Amino acid sequence: MTKWINLLLRLIIGGIFVAAGAVKIVNPAAFADSIANYRMLPHEWINAFAITLPWVEVAAGLLLIIGIWMRTNALLIALMLVMFIIAIGQAVGRGLNIECGCFGTVEGRKVGLVALAEDAAMLAAAAWLAWREKD
Amino acid sequence: MRRTLQRSLVIVVASATLGVVVNAVRSDVGKDGKLRCIPFVTPPKAEIRNQEFVPLAMAQGLWSSGSAFFLDARAPADYAAGHIANALSLPAEAFDQHFPQVASYLTTDSVIVCYCDGTECDLSHRIAELLRQRGYTNVRILKNGWTEWNRAAYPTTKGAKP
Repeated sequence: MTKWINLLLRLIIGGIFVAAGAVKIVNPAAFADSIANYRMLPHEWINAFAITLPWVEVAAGLLLIIGIWMRTNALLIALMLVMFIIAIGQAVGRGLNIECGCFGTVEGRKVGLVALAEDAAMLAAAAWLAWREKD
Repeated sequence: MRRTLQRSLVIVVASATLGVVVNAVRSDVGKDGKLRCIPFVTPPKAEIRNQEFVPLAMAQGLWSSGSAFFLDARAPADYAAGHIANALSLPAEAFDQHFPQVASYLTTDSVIVCYCDGTECDLSHRIAELLRQRGYTNVRILKNGWTEWNRAAYPTTKGAKP
């Protein structure tokens, strides 16, 4: 039973990360704008982040789905989610009315408690997978 | 644990490298006609040279030092009935007709202050935009300019000439 739940979780979480990363890879400039809106990173670093982070998302998501180094990839995804939660949390805390940029700009969604809740749910799932799956 | 850490590092480094490589070699173009690749180090922010609106006090300073050209975007009849002293007439409704004469006074980096009348008036925005399209880089707008200028009792002139 747990096996099937874990497989389902891997497909969902991995799929979300592959999709979210792919959208950002298509348009890195838009993702860079989204990052800039969060006003967290030093200005010069923004593009480097926008160029690399989506590929880590896709790689970790893909490997999690395929079943290679599952614990490692679940941990990586959890780590990214912690980062996203901090980013969105500080934006909400500072009252920034900005686009989430979670899936590029296609979803046109603002940061807020909904985005935080989604990331928290995914974090729980990723943490579970990191605990239960093997590398 | 140590192995997990090493593997995470492998994944992060490998995928980030892939990202950098792809960004360096890609030549696809987006819907906006711009290349999709971006410079690795974010270029410095464009100078905020066009704080689009210029406050009245600053406009007055520019006027009295003679360091800015004032352009009146209203209709010629309104201009003739009274305008900011030394302002040139560049009616938004007849821009192309009046532009050559005004242009003879300007260089592309001249400080330009456009104004019309009323907070909802968009004539000054229209000529400002047209000027920017023609390469003028230092175009600003004095919002509700004619009213504000009069209220402050700054110098004005009547007649069709500046």
